[in-house]
Amino acid sequence: MNVEITGLTRRFGRTTAVAGVDLRAGPGVFGLLGPNGAGKTSLLRMMATAMPPTSGRLRLLGRDPGRYGQRRQIRRRLGYLPQNLGYYPGFTVAEFVEYFALLKEMPAARVQAAVRVAVERVELGGKAKARLRTLSGGMLRRVGIAQAIVNEPELLLLDEPTAGLDPEQRVAFRALLRDLGRRATVVVSTHLVEDVGAACAQVALMDRGKIVFHGTPADLAARGEGHGIGDAPLERGYSAVLTGVRS
Amino acid sequence: MTADRVREVTAAQHRKTRPARPPRAGVRLARLYAASRRIPAAVAAIAACAIGLRIALAGHWDSYGALQLPLVFEAGAAAAITVTTASPHGDPERVAGRWLPFLRLAAALALTAAAASALAAAGTGAHLAGGTLDALRNVAGMTGIGLLCAAALGGGLAWAGPTGYLVLGAYGLYTQWHGPALTTPWIWPARPPHDLGAAICAGLVFTLGIAAITVRGARDPAGE
Amino acid sequence: MNTTNAPAVSRQLPATRRPGRTAARLLRLELRHNAMLWMLPVAIALFWLTTYRKAMAMPPLWNLRATSMQSGTLLAFACPVAGAAAWTGSRETRRHTTEMVTVAARPRWARLLAAWAAATCWAMAGYLACLAVLYGVTAQQASWGGPLWWPAAVLAASLPAFSAAGFAAGTLLPSRFTAPLATVAAFFVVALSTQLIAGSQSYWQVSPLVTGPWDTGPDAGVATFYPYLPDLPIAQVMFLAGLTIALLAALALPRGSGGRGLRAAAAAVTTAGLLAAGTAVALAGTGKLDAHGMITIPALHDAASDRPVRFTPACSHTAIPVCLNPAYASYLPATVTAVAPALSEIAGLPGAPVRISQAAATYQQQAGNAVSVRLDGPPISGRPPVYHLLLPDQLLGPTMTTSELAAEVRSSAGPAIVASVIADRPGASQAQHAVTAGLIIAAGLPLQGLPPGTTPAADSRPGVRSQPPPEVAPGSPAYAAARRFAALAAPARHAWLMRHLTALRAGRITLRQLP
Ligand SMILES: Nc1ncnc2c1ncn2[C@@H]1O[C@H](COP(=O)(O)OP(=O)(O)O)[C@@H](O)[C@H]1O
Ligand SMILES: [Mg+2]
Repeated sequence: MNVEITGLTRRFGRTTAVAGVDLRAGPGVFGLLGPNGAGKTSLLRMMATAMPPTSGRLRLLGRDPGRYGQRRQIRRRLGYLPQNLGYYPGFTVAEFVEYFALLKEMPAARVQAAVRVAVERVELGGKAKARLRTLSGGMLRRVGIAQAIVNEPELLLLDEPTAGLDPEQRVAFRALLRDLGRRATVVVSTHLVEDVGAACAQVALMDRGKIVFHGTPADLAARGEGHGIGDAPLERGYSAVLTGVRS
Repeated sequence: MTADRVREVTAAQHRKTRPARPPRAGVRLARLYAASRRIPAAVAAIAACAIGLRIALAGHWDSYGALQLPLVFEAGAAAAITVTTASPHGDPERVAGRWLPFLRLAAALALTAAAASALAAAGTGAHLAGGTLDALRNVAGMTGIGLLCAAALGGGLAWAGPTGYLVLGAYGLYTQWHGPALTTPWIWPARPPHDLGAAICAGLVFTLGIAAITVRGARDPAGE
Repeated sequence: MNTTNAPAVSRQLPATRRPGRTAARLLRLELRHNAMLWMLPVAIALFWLTTYRKAMAMPPLWNLRATSMQSGTLLAFACPVAGAAAWTGSRETRRHTTEMVTVAARPRWARLLAAWAAATCWAMAGYLACLAVLYGVTAQQASWGGPLWWPAAVLAASLPAFSAAGFAAGTLLPSRFTAPLATVAAFFVVALSTQLIAGSQSYWQVSPLVTGPWDTGPDAGVATFYPYLPDLPIAQVMFLAGLTIALLAALALPRGSGGRGLRAAAAAVTTAGLLAAGTAVALAGTGKLDAHGMITIPALHDAASDRPVRFTPACSHTAIPVCLNPAYASYLPATVTAVAPALSEIAGLPGAPVRISQAAATYQQQAGNAVSVRLDGPPISGRPPVYHLLLPDQLLGPTMTTSELAAEVRSSAGPAIVASVIADRPGASQAQHAVTAGLIIAAGLPLQGLPPGTTPAADSRPGVRSQPPPEVAPGSPAYAAARRFAALAAPARHAWLMRHLTALRAGRITLRQLP
């Protein structure tokens, strides 16, 4: 198992962002659904070793992120796209991705090739020499994805990766996800249900810090049969589960 | 509710609230603008400069140090004013209405006045070389340089102007001891407070800076 | 997005095997985008305005050029690099990348070190270019000696230290106000800390702005007859290096920035750096002004540097040759012309000097920051007698142009040479005063200047001139006698002196006996 989580909790003052989550995930694409404020970002940040949990147990890639040495080994094998991508406007696309390749301690000899591949995979090959300040929002999002995948991560955490992508790009991105999920554990947080249906083998639904549903997309769709509001089976399942929990 | 009715209602609300709006909304807008530009922090920085000057004036300085001392704190205050020009919002704000230039103008003028008076106040009772007039001229001139830099380079790095000028101005003062003396009015810190040429140069730079920041605002950041 | 273009990168990602190459790539990336690159024009413009122009206005003496460069360049570069480094240090917070870079494997200190190094490299490159120009031009102009490397080394140690201080401020307080305030603070610390210096035993001499006894300014008298003492520069470099190391090692101190071992090592290095800096401050406090005008620090002092520098003097081919240290060779023609009238009056007299030779000045610390500079021993000594001359440039005060210097030599050294031959010193006879004054008047030199029998002292700056000595004030009998003596024809004066000089010097001649 690449991700083993038991009783994971995170509090911010009085807010409990993540309230005792249990989760196990092996290779494959894992969708994390939930309304705004459900705790998806907080969960992903803990899985990305960006933030320690308040309590609970977390093992990533068979290692304990609480220890510095093991955390560093996890981080070498990690890709993380935060919800709000920070970037350096003066860097070119290739430079920005190279910067992260170097920070992820890739061997210097392989960096150049890896950067080229990552930039190609998000279809920014033609823009490799463009400065980030000249890019559109969707392109920046793809630069963020490129830096996350440049080290061929074994654990890839993407927080709302499709926000700002045009439909064509979104379709291409789902294909990329499927491809990456063949070897790595990819956790995608999103509130766009279609993304989950098209790319994820497993899906979890979060609400108010808890996982309220865990199964395949087909299971989720089945929950919505007959009740739930929405235009597509998954949407109906999503709303049915949430209504069920809240009532 | 039909569309027409909606329009009617909002128009009515509009009419009703109109007279009460400018003062309160104006204050609120000014407050939000100030928060977005970190103006409270700039005021704190200016206050820190004034307090620093006051504390430093309590010490013993030779005549050369005493002349340089106010200049350092004036440059600090001017640099703090300069960096408030950087906008965190960019385009959305720029297209959001006609008030922005006036806000920029008012903020720059108010902060400059605050800095000059705070530094002058810090100097009262102590021996402030050059006196109030000197403080006003130097703060205004260096702020002008900073505002021009902000318009040209962006708010982030605009402090390079006033701080660079600080080194030059201090050198100008130094050359009065160890010649050849630099006497151009463009290096106004090295001129006596009542020197007309220096006051004109500083005033001109300040006016240009204020005009640039009012009309254009700080350039969007480049670099990095 | 491209799925068909399968990754060519192999999967396993071991730790970097060649850290040097990765570090170089990281540094190259940082160099391309560092704010110091944008600040270089400011720094270079400041260097040109405040340092280069001033240095070029000085005579081409290595000591003047090097020490004035150290102080000027420090301000021109230290302030911008402190600001640029603070700006760089606050970058991750300003750009909201903290989380992304934190979850990358490379430790925080390594990442930050690359950014710091980029700012420092640009500052260093700019500084070295400026140094090369200034020293290159000076090498073309100077008549003797070579570049002084210690001032250059102090500067080279200063830039990383100021960069590290700014950077630390930027990482600790990442606000938009940090960079400007760091710049102003750097200026304040450098320019105004020297106010606290009192005498050569001050701890504050550790400030890299200080090149010698504070308040004397660049001094043309040092490091020509004796080598440039490295004592104070060593203490300064030690202080700056200790500070730099402590500040940089402190980057690895915060929780999570390394394993326990690494953080312990960082704490040890920080402590060591602080100790080194503290030791350097303590050493600077044990400084003492030595007789040659430089600060010695007993613990760092190498006795070998007290030996005088060997040189072949530059001499004129006049009847009484005038010999200067070759560093001052450009002053030789002006000096010869300036002392010629006095020499023509005394040439051939018994006891007249056979050579005028430039001597080293002796320095002494006075109360506060005051320093006295004078000639040690009598102005005339040896057998055959040699007159020891101090050029006005060797004394304190603003550096002079050649014509200012010539005027000063004429009005102070000329009378002093005459007085030394007549043995006219305080307490000498009226006749001696009168003859000295008569010769000075005859030589067309001003009858003012210094009290007879003394050599120029520290207060002999242009414009600060004493009145005619009271013994020969206009209206006194001595003055009348001096006038009479000056009115004689030159051969008559000479003949009288040949006959009576020995008696005159012994004080056995009265005013009445003068022709
Ligand atoms: N840094 C923070 N400080 C305080 N509260 C936070 C912080 N981050 C998240 N929260 C709170 O935690 C809850 C979950 O937020 P988040 O994980 O961002 O949800 P999601 O990503 O699912 O929209 C929200 O109520 C949010 O306000
Ligand atoms: Mg979120």
